[in-house]
Amino acid sequence: MNIEIKELVFAYPNGVLALEGVTVGIPTGSLVAIVGQNGAGKTTLVKHLNGLLRPTSGLVQIGDWDTRQRSVAELANRIGFIFQNPDDQLFCRTVKEEVQFGPRSLGFENDRIETLVEAALELTELHEKASQNPYDLSPAWRKMVALASILAMDTPIVVMDEPTTGQDAVSIERISRIVQSLHGSGKTVIAITHDIDFCAENFERMIVMRQGMVVLDGPIQEVVAEREMLASTYVEQPQITRLAKRLGFSTIVYKPDDFIRVLHDS
Amino acid sequence: MPDRLSFFIPRESRVHSLNPLTKLALAFSLIILAFFGPGLFLPVALYFFVLVPLSLLGKVGKEFLQTSFRLLLPLFAFLFVMQSLFYPGGETVIFSFWIFSATSEGVVFAFRTATRILVMVSSFLLLLLTTHPSTLMNDLSRRGVPASLSYIITSTLQIIPQMQARAVTIQDAQRSRGLDTGGNLINRIRSLLPLVGPLVFSSLVDVEERAIAIEARAFTLPVKKTSLIDIPDSRGEAVLRWVMAALSLMTIGYRIWLSLN
Repeated sequence: MNIEIKELVFAYPNGVLALEGVTVGIPTGSLVAIVGQNGAGKTTLVKHLNGLLRPTSGLVQIGDWDTRQRSVAELANRIGFIFQNPDDQLFCRTVKEEVQFGPRSLGFENDRIETLVEAALELTELHEKASQNPYDLSPAWRKMVALASILAMDTPIVVMDEPTTGQDAVSIERISRIVQSLHGSGKTVIAITHDIDFCAENFERMIVMRQGMVVLDGPIQEVVAEREMLASTYVEQPQITRLAKRLGFSTIVYKPDDFIRVLHDS
Repeated sequence: MPDRLSFFIPRESRVHSLNPLTKLALAFSLIILAFFGPGLFLPVALYFFVLVPLSLLGKVGKEFLQTSFRLLLPLFAFLFVMQSLFYPGGETVIFSFWIFSATSEGVVFAFRTATRILVMVSSFLLLLLTTHPSTLMNDLSRRGVPASLSYIITSTLQIIPQMQARAVTIQDAQRSRGLDTGGNLINRIRSLLPLVGPLVFSSLVDVEERAIAIEARAFTLPVKKTSLIDIPDSRGEAVLRWVMAALSLMTIGYRIWLSLN
């Protein structure tokens, strides 16, 4: 399902202009990371995708739907939105009930709910914890519950707001696997992140925002090369890219595997 | 989303820079004067010749007048209608219709009550418009008011806007999961648990964290604490406060003397 954002302008009720004309197209199956400093408009932009915010002017289209004409509950059929803080949404007594809530709200058949919930628990490795209370789990696992609760909604597009913040290495690995698995099943994954390494290793396209505008947009390898432009919005190049540069590599690398390959070849 | 809970308007003025205790003393002595002072027109005079000029000096004149009218006009209308018609013991009838008759005693009583309330509400309004609540509480706790009391008041003022912001985020998160919060009554009641649940849980967690945080800062240690924030006070203001206290005492004394004779 394609996303079309055209000339999107958004001003908050207090007059603050958060988006100053953003035009972005995201085709089906994309792996897109959105980066930029705090206040650059990243969250404001993605909140337009599921109708939590409505354009002041401009257009946001999800497939054939114009978000202005759809309710948030309707758009939840197409966009799964994982909030940064899992505690903003967990309320059920067990992990399983929590994960069932989304597909139930969307009015799916019981059989389908059962299959989707099982698959989501499998993917997030929550199977053994399915009958526990979400609040008895560690924050890293609560994040997984929040993820599973959105994945079970089986939306063609999944948006993650800061998926790796406060997560340990094992948990970040798990999130990487989930992103790849979603990508493998043909879904669009959009992540807002400050974790440039996570983004370089897992995503294909990178959108850099600064002060309500898109300043860079392209394949990761091209975007990470723009050191100065990234620095202007307080984003550093991936560690591995900086290391390669210091070692005098002639090519831009952004993944550890590429780094090792280039190192071998030279 | 309201981003502030207090009335405070941050501006640079002579009234803003007064010590909070001076403004508090002024509010209390004006109220005592209005309630116990002589003369029917004293409260009105206090309002127009003390409070209004002070609000102008404090550069909050517009907000002061607006808020006091908005708060008090409906109340006054109600008072005048009820008291002028139903004041017990009213004899001097001004006019009457059907079974009702308005008495001048009732009108006078309504006028007295209304103008006293006007002074009471607007003198606190002036204090609140020109004083940040935490400045007031800091000053009071520096002068010996228990720190836990000022903590309760200031933390409440801070927590409520935070909780409002949190409630909005929770609502967004649950709507993103397909929760329909609109529609008929049953639907709305059903959507309450997913909204209230996370809010209550997170507030409980917050309470514990706050308790640990203030404990870690030796909040409950029984020693005399110094104040980080320096709130300016002057000899002149102290004198002014004593004058106001004396004036209040004299007014109360006058009232007692009247009732004894």
